[in-house]
Amino acid sequence: MIVDRNNLPEDIRDLPESCFEIVGSEDISDEPFKTEAIGFFKDAIYRLRKNKLSVIAFWLITAVIISAIIVPHLTGYSPTAQNLAYRNLPPKIPGLEKLGIADGTRILTNRPKASLSEFPEGSIIQIVREYKASNVDMVDVKVDYYKFVGVPEGEYHWMGTDYLGRDLCTRLFLGARISLLIAFFAVVANIIIGVVYGACAGYYGGRVDMILTHFAEILDGLPYLVVTILFMLLFGSGMFSIVLALTVTGWIGTARLVRAQFYRFKGREYVLAARTLGVRDRALIFRHILPNAIGPVITRAMISIPGAIFSESFLAYIGLGIKPPNPSIGVLLSDGQRVLLQYPYQTVFPAVLISVLMVSFNLFANGLRDALDPTQRGEI
Amino acid sequence: MSDSTYLLEVKNLCRHFTSGRGKNKLVVKAVDNVSFGVKPAETFGLVGESGCGKTTLGRTIIRLYDPTSGQVFFNGREISGKMTGELRRYLTENIAMIFQDPIESLNPRMTVEEIIGEGLKVRGVKDKAEIRRRVVEMLKKVGLNEEHATRYPHEFSGGQRQRIGIARALIVQPKMIIADEPVSALDVSIQAQVINLLNDLKEEFGLTILFIAHNLSVVKYFSDRIGVMYYGRLVEVARGEDLYAKPLHPYTRALLSAIPEPNPLTARNKKRLDYDPERDHDYSREKPEMVEIEPEHFVYCSPSEAARYREICRSAVKAGD
Repeated sequence: MIVDRNNLPEDIRDLPESCFEIVGSEDISDEPFKTEAIGFFKDAIYRLRKNKLSVIAFWLITAVIISAIIVPHLTGYSPTAQNLAYRNLPPKIPGLEKLGIADGTRILTNRPKASLSEFPEGSIIQIVREYKASNVDMVDVKVDYYKFVGVPEGEYHWMGTDYLGRDLCTRLFLGARISLLIAFFAVVANIIIGVVYGACAGYYGGRVDMILTHFAEILDGLPYLVVTILFMLLFGSGMFSIVLALTVTGWIGTARLVRAQFYRFKGREYVLAARTLGVRDRALIFRHILPNAIGPVITRAMISIPGAIFSESFLAYIGLGIKPPNPSIGVLLSDGQRVLLQYPYQTVFPAVLISVLMVSFNLFANGLRDALDPTQRGEI
Repeated sequence: MSDSTYLLEVKNLCRHFTSGRGKNKLVVKAVDNVSFGVKPAETFGLVGESGCGKTTLGRTIIRLYDPTSGQVFFNGREISGKMTGELRRYLTENIAMIFQDPIESLNPRMTVEEIIGEGLKVRGVKDKAEIRRRVVEMLKKVGLNEEHATRYPHEFSGGQRQRIGIARALIVQPKMIIADEPVSALDVSIQAQVINLLNDLKEEFGLTILFIAHNLSVVKYFSDRIGVMYYGRLVEVARGEDLYAKPLHPYTRALLSAIPEPNPLTARNKKRLDYDPERDHDYSREKPEMVEIEPEHFVYCSPSEAARYREICRSAVKAGD
C-alpha cells in the first residue's frame, strides 16, 4: 500500500492505485565532477599562498636556512681560528665601503697627537677633534682600522671580527645553523612525545587520562633552570643537553593540546563509523583522529621553533650554552653584549638575525594557522 | 537461550549513563529494559521523539556503548558479553551502521575510495586493485560513478554523502544494518531517493534493517514492523499496518496524531492528542510489562489496561466486518 487514501482530497480519493507512482524511485546516477579534486593540504597550501606576509616570511626563513648552510663555507675563514692581531675589526663589505658604510673605519679617541706619526702609513683618514688635556695635545682620529692593524689589502670581514679575531659572519651563520638545529631537534622531539602522549590520554580517557595528565603536571612543576643545570652536569654542556633540557618539559604543552583535540574529535560520527567497521585503535588514532587534529599542532610547532631558539639563546646568555669555541646565536649575543658600547656591531648582527627569525616564524605560523583552520575554508 | 525465529534479539537491555558521585550522582536511563526481536530480511522501524534513546539503543547493540545490563543475541550468539577481539570481528562482519549526519559521518581528510574501502582493508584485503574494483562497483550501486572515488567528502551534496555512507556500510556485506536516522538530515526529495535506494539494496542483498527514525511517514513506508520508544522504554511493538490502524498505547496515539497532513481540509478537523504518563496510567497497584494483545502486537501496560486494549481490538475487528 503506497497511498494512504484517507489523507487525500475527496476528488482524487477514488483513483486506482495505478495512477500513483513513487517519485524519486528512478535510478539515480550522478554526473562526474568537472573540477579537479582538492585535498585538504593542497587547499591549505593554496590559501597559505594567498597570504602575502606568510609567503615573505617563508622566503626569509628559507633564505636564513640556506645562508646557515652555505655562508660558513663561502667566507673562507674558519669559525674557530683565533688571530689576536685582528681582533675587534669593524665590518667591511666590498662595494658598500665606497658609500661610507661598512668601510672598516673606526674613530680612535684620546690619542696623543704625537703618536699619530707612528700610525701605519695611509691609515689616518681624518682628524675628528683636537683638544688639550693636561697640557698634552690630544686628538680623536678616524682611521682605516684594517690598515691600522695591518690586515692585507683585499681581506674583508663583512661583519667584522670578535674579541679573539674570529670572523663574525662565519660565526653568526654557523651559530644560526646550530641554533636552528637545536630548535629543530627540540621541537621534533616535543611534537613526537607530545602527540603520542596526548593521543593516548585523549583517546583512552578515564583513568588512563587521569594518570597521564597528573604525571605531566608533576613534571611541569619541576623548575626548568635547575633541570637544565642538572643535565649540563650530567652530560656536559653541548647540543644534546640543551635539546634534552628543552624537551623535558617542552612537550607538555603539545600533549595538552593534542589531548584536547582528541577529546573533541573522538566522538565524531566518522570515528564511530570507523569503529563499527572494526578499525583498530592505532588506525583510529593515526588515520582518523590525528589528521583532523593536526592543524593546531603544526601551528604550535612553528611557533615553538623561535621559542626554542630564544630559550637556547637565554641559556647561552647566562653561560649555559653550548661548548666553546662553537658559536650559537645566543653565545654571540652573550659575547657581544660585553663590548656593546665599544663595538655595537658585535651585538647588532646576531640580534637582527634572531629578530628576523622570530618575526618570520611567527608570521609564517599565523598564516599556517589560518590556512589549516577548517572554518576558514573556501574564504579569501 | 534465544528464539531462532529472530536474527537479532534484544532482551531486557539497559544502558544507563551516570554523572557525578555520591550526592550529586545522576543516572540517566537512556535505554531501560528494552526487549524486541528482528526477523531475518525484515525491516524493523524504531520511532520516538528526540532524546528517547533510539540512537543509544542502536549504538548499544553494535557495541559503541557497553550495555549496563541485559542481553543481545545475533543469530543465536550473545553479542552483549565481554568484548574480545573475536567478538569485535564477529560484530563488524555481521552488523554495519549508517549514520545520521552525512557531513559528520565521513572523514574530511580521506577520499571516498579510502572511506568506502576501509572496511575491506580492515578485513585483510590487501590488493589495491581489488579494493578499487569493489569500491567502484559499490559506488555504481548507490548511483555514484568511478570518478567520484578520488574525491573528498566536502565536494558532495548531502544526499550523495549519505549514499557514500550507505556504500561504506554495505561493502563489507553485513547481514544486518542499523540505520540511525539515515534521512532525517536530508531534504524531502532527497529523502525519497535515499529511502528508495535502501529499499532496492535491501531486496538485492536480503538485508535485515533496524531503521531508527523520528519521521513517522518514512518509517511507515519503509518498515515491516515498528517499535515505539518513550523515555528509554519500548511502549508498543506491532506490524506497520496494525500500529497505524489501531494504536493502543496512549503515547503511540499521541505520536500518530502529530503527523502533519498534506490536506488542509482534513488537517483543519484533526485533533491533536497529548500524552502525560502521570495522567494516562495508574501504575500504583499494578506493575506494567510487555503484553501481547494481539498476535505480534505488544504493548507495555498493566493487566487492567491490557484487558481494555483487548476490548478495543475486538470492537475494531467488529467494526471492520
